[in-house]
Amino acid sequence: MQRFELFYILLLALIPVLLPAQGAVDFHFQKGNALYLEEQYPEAIQEYEAVLHNGLESAELYYNLGNSYYKAGRLGKAILNYERALKLRPKDDNIRFNLQLSNLRVKDRIDVPPDFFLLRWNRNMVQTLTVRGWARLFTLLLLMTSGVFAIRQMLNLNRFRRLCRSGLLALAIATFLTLLPLLQRYGMEHSRAYGIILQSSTKSLAAPQEGSTELFIVHEGTRVQVLDYDGDWSKTKLIDGKQAWVRSRDLEII
Amino acid sequence: MLTRIILFLFILNAGLRAKDITVSASVDRQRIDLDEVISFMVSIEGTSDFPDVAPPRSDGFVIISGPSQSSSIQIVNGAMSASKTIQWRLAPTRTGAQTIQAIDIKYGRKTYSTQAITVTVNVAQSPAVAASRTPTPGPAPGSPPARSVSSPSDGLFLKAEVPKITVYKGEELPVSFTLYFQNVRNYAPQKLPDAKGFWTELFPEKRNPSVSTETINGVAYKKATLRRLALFPTTTGDLTIDPMQISCEVPAPSQRRRSVFDDFFDDSFFSDPFSGTKTVQIQSEPLKIRVRELPGTGQPAGFSGAVGNYVIESSIDTLQTRQNQALTLRYSISGSGNINSVKLPPLELPSNVEIFEPKVERRVNNQGKSIRGSVTYEYVLIPRTSGRLRIPALNFVFFDPAGGRYQTSTAQGYAVNVNAVDQADFASSAGFRKEEISLLGSDIRFINRDDPHWRPIGSSVFKRVWFWLFNLIALGLVAGSSGFHWWLEKMAGNSLFSRRRRALSRAQQLLKEIQTELGQEQTDAVCGKLDRSLRGFISDRLGLAPSGLGPREIQAALEKHRVDPDLREIVIAILSELEQLRFLPGSLGLEDFERLYERVNELLMKLIKVL
Repeated sequence: MQRFELFYILLLALIPVLLPAQGAVDFHFQKGNALYLEEQYPEAIQEYEAVLHNGLESAELYYNLGNSYYKAGRLGKAILNYERALKLRPKDDNIRFNLQLSNLRVKDRIDVPPDFFLLRWNRNMVQTLTVRGWARLFTLLLLMTSGVFAIRQMLNLNRFRRLCRSGLLALAIATFLTLLPLLQRYGMEHSRAYGIILQSSTKSLAAPQEGSTELFIVHEGTRVQVLDYDGDWSKTKLIDGKQAWVRSRDLEII
Repeated sequence: MLTRIILFLFILNAGLRAKDITVSASVDRQRIDLDEVISFMVSIEGTSDFPDVAPPRSDGFVIISGPSQSSSIQIVNGAMSASKTIQWRLAPTRTGAQTIQAIDIKYGRKTYSTQAITVTVNVAQSPAVAASRTPTPGPAPGSPPARSVSSPSDGLFLKAEVPKITVYKGEELPVSFTLYFQNVRNYAPQKLPDAKGFWTELFPEKRNPSVSTETINGVAYKKATLRRLALFPTTTGDLTIDPMQISCEVPAPSQRRRSVFDDFFDDSFFSDPFSGTKTVQIQSEPLKIRVRELPGTGQPAGFSGAVGNYVIESSIDTLQTRQNQALTLRYSISGSGNINSVKLPPLELPSNVEIFEPKVERRVNNQGKSIRGSVTYEYVLIPRTSGRLRIPALNFVFFDPAGGRYQTSTAQGYAVNVNAVDQADFASSAGFRKEEISLLGSDIRFINRDDPHWRPIGSSVFKRVWFWLFNLIALGLVAGSSGFHWWLEKMAGNSLFSRRRRALSRAQQLLKEIQTELGQEQTDAVCGKLDRSLRGFISDRLGLAPSGLGPREIQAALEKHRVDPDLREIVIAILSELEQLRFLPGSLGLEDFERLYERVNELLMKLIKVL
């Protein structure tokens, strides 16, 4: 164990010399993984958070950080990080599983009304690719469309003229249809409309001031929609539609 | 057989229904004094199922008692006759001829009406009012009421009795109304005492008040307590308990009989309606009560205005519970006093306990000598976290008017062990779906140790270079190919345009030919080609016909296009030089030709800029 630590200290001392920023981040990540294996969850959390301090993120990082928080018993933070991981990689089975499991431990059991099937299809479709993926697809299709267009304009294609025209139309429609999920996905990833309650029990008040009527209590890990801000207070909406003000420091935006 | 019975019953029923009834109304006297009471009777004959009868209406009378009913059914020679009499006691409110309106009685499908009855009411005989009043203890009454109150000859009065006339705010003040009498056949309360500024609790009214005797000023009275109230003052200052009013039926002085039926509460109206009873209205004296404010000194914190003598107790259903499991905490305050105004002090519980609105149950016991009761607060608590839940002792402060000081009763506090919830319990407590319960047993999945794809926090595709670069390339492809397409179209469709576009390349083509021919001795051909290239270039650029284009036309055309005069000079000079050389073959050497060629080439380059 001592040798292990010594090794870390040595590596740590060498980092600024040997590795560029990216490498430092990778090191923090690897070290976090190692500490997680050693079941030193608070220390693992520190390492993972160090990566975030360096201004870099990734789905793996958020997932591992979520796991560490879960193991450390901080349900709200765990759910927050799983949700963030899911934002980057919405189809990831492991993230979804752990998030589902964590949500079971949330005290507020709010039944989610089932979505309309078209909406569900649309969401599944949008979630198949990340923003980057959609952007790549969009760019590729756009290049293809313009390429075919250019060929058609410049060359004399007597025999293939009709084929070329229908192909061009199909490509143009496909390009346009890719733009919609791209924007939707962008909206999902960059949405700051949802937050997770981090305090074990948070009073939800009727007005954004201390001492106003207490409407209900929300517990750690509950996902709320943030509608509005007023000073230190956030106007939140639960999934079932109940609205109330909570202190902004009691929740963190996903 | 069965059908026959049913048919028979049906006919019988129809027969009974079809039977007519007779109704009539009557009074016992047609002439009365203002201080007397009449009996108004409605009798129905001919049926055994009696219809409902509305009370009589009259402007000049008020109902002081009734209705009382009597009915009789007789069967004579197989014929059934039934009758029912409904009786009210009416007191007149003014003099003159007063009409008791006809009463409509609905029976079956028909409506029967009684006749209207007129009663003459005379002014009350003066002696009854003018007579001096029965001596009553307490303050002197106010102005004598217009109607007959008690008179000495009646030998009766009503007295309101209180144990004390100075009370604390909120303290119970028992008031009893006692009737002192010598001979009363009947009585009916007319007006219950009104007590403004008091919360009133009634003691139950006894059907047969016990009668005792008492001698006042040498006169022997029987006395009976008619009504008892408990009053709780809600404000301070001098308050008044209004008098209670009753009407009593006493034997008329002319026919005063000391009958064996001298019971106080002889309910039989029909014993002898015309035996000469008379009705007397009596009322008690109004009572003045002084209400004191509770002492301000020594008032402990948490006093919420409870006055009386109370004990608070607490109970809890369990001391061992689990997280998220409800437990019941009960507080019970019992004692004497105005229990309806007793409030439990607010609970001070840790914030990790969810408290629901308490179930409050109040019981008021008015059977005893004073008002007692209890109030129970039942709280449902749900501890949300495990550990030791402390429920502090609860102090209930009240003012004891008997001792004249504040007292505190304390309910026991509790410490509840809240055990943490293991997963199985948790599942049973919340509404989980089946697949979720199966998930509960499992642990989270292991971390992902792949090399992550780092990206800057808050990065966006729309900030990336490649995205916009490729989009611009696509845009350029579309724009460029469209432009090229347009150029091709124009070249094919417009000869002037294509001549102009191709002018330089054609001229240079010719010059290239000349360069290859320069070595050979064909000066005239070279000159001709130089001339053609220059002339052709100008005509192509300006869209002129190439044939018949002399130096003069060229001069004019250049002038029209505002070409610099110096340049014009050079063009004309070269053209004329070439003209001359064509007709003077062999006059120039190779070097001269090369110079000439260079000059033409230069000129073309200059011209393409201005034309």
